[in-house]
Amino acid sequence: MEVTEGKQIKKQISKTKRTIIDSDIHNYTPLEEIKKYLPRVYRDQIDLWGWRLPGSLYLNGGTNVGQRADSIPPDGGFPGSNLDFMSSQYLDPFNVEYGILTGSDYSCQASPDVDYAAAISSAINEYTLEHWLGRDRRLKGSVFIPKQDPVLSAKEIHRVGSHSDMVQVIVASGADKPYGNRYYHPIYEACVEHNLPFTIHVLMEGVGMNPPTTGAGWVSYYPEYRATRPQVMAAHLASLIYEGVFEKFPTLKVVLQEAGVFWVAPYLWKLDEDWKALRFQTPWVKKPPSEYFRSNIKVSSQPLEPTPNQEMFRQMMNAVYADETLLYCSDYPHWDFDSPLKTFPKLDDALWERVFYQNAADLYGLPARKKQGGTE
Amino acid sequence: MTGFLVGKASEIPEGGKKIIEANGRSIGIYNIGGEFFAIRNTCPHQGAALCSGITTEFINSTGPGNFVHEREGEIVRCPWHQWEFEIKTGCMVVDPKKRTKSYEVTVERFDVSVEDKEVYVHI
Repeated sequence: MEVTEGKQIKKQISKTKRTIIDSDIHNYTPLEEIKKYLPRVYRDQIDLWGWRLPGSLYLNGGTNVGQRADSIPPDGGFPGSNLDFMSSQYLDPFNVEYGILTGSDYSCQASPDVDYAAAISSAINEYTLEHWLGRDRRLKGSVFIPKQDPVLSAKEIHRVGSHSDMVQVIVASGADKPYGNRYYHPIYEACVEHNLPFTIHVLMEGVGMNPPTTGAGWVSYYPEYRATRPQVMAAHLASLIYEGVFEKFPTLKVVLQEAGVFWVAPYLWKLDEDWKALRFQTPWVKKPPSEYFRSNIKVSSQPLEPTPNQEMFRQMMNAVYADETLLYCSDYPHWDFDSPLKTFPKLDDALWERVFYQNAADLYGLPARKKQGGTE
Repeated sequence: MTGFLVGKASEIPEGGKKIIEANGRSIGIYNIGGEFFAIRNTCPHQGAALCSGITTEFINSTGPGNFVHEREGEIVRCPWHQWEFEIKTGCMVVDPKKRTKSYEVTVERFDVSVEDKEVYVHI
């Protein structure tokens, strides 16, 4: 078996001619480690009463709650916990030039105790800076914030946002108000000041202080929950546009992460059509919504929806302006991992380059490849 | 081009409009600030009787929550899907390529009596 796997990986390397940027890699940020970075008051509270953080309402895929069954490191640790194994299993064989770390625990963003959420966010950031960033030049970090308190969030962005290895601010999609609401503006001011994109990653919908998984109420099963993620993300997208966030913060970039890709196309058509009809109700929205999408929004690719045929795939890619907006993501080490080699049908060279490298490089301010032409 | 009599100028006060049939076409004649403008009474979107929509202003904004009223009385909002058209040009405000036909309007006076002025649309 070992020999077969070795052969397979070698073949994959030979096909990955150029390096890639992966915008969604989940490094493990275990609570027992995070605890060491918390102020004493919270460490004492945790000892007495536990973490009081909400967990998922649903099943997941894979093993170890959502992980690839083959992603447990040789030391027996949790998937995503071991940098050497992450390198040998994923970063090296798939020729990853840069990977954006997106952490593993967003539960503090569903806690109504905002000071506690702020302390955990800071602890996650400190842990990531100390244990991940700087250990491997390929890896870049996400600033966790207590998004349910935008002023504390801005404070955290100012605290760690100027670190050169922190390349974005990250929040869960589950939120007590849609992300265009002016309540969040202190976060966007700080993002703009530090030139950090604001990434909305699916998670925490229906959990803790966040509203139900859908406006129609809680769904029952995990596949159903996955199917509702685009609804929540769609609400955030419309909110960001119709609340005038991109008029107030024209340089702000927002990433819609892990809610799927191709649903965006008909949604933009609908947004544009309704804007033509109802523009005068929100006159601060100066352009058709699809134009804000193109100038201010990026979409992460995983989990990409296969289409019935390649012609339809090509059309859908065009319809979401993939050459400007799409970021390749693997979601390693999660069970629904999208392989850099097998997820997309053959793309023309220029489009491949945008999706697998340049869109992310432009967004995160990452340099060109060290070696043009790759390591074939 | 043929001139069609719309009616007496006094029938269309400032801010008012009159819809007539001329040469088989329905046309709306508007009085904006004492000047007359005519547009075809058909929306280029889905064919609604455009001039039966409300005559209104262009609502602009300097930012979220702010409303600025501009071009008072110069905009017709289609009765069906609320698309906004400039009465002076027939063009959709946000997409000027979409337009309804506009026509020249003249006001002609045949004697010294102001009340007797007549409005003509030229098709």
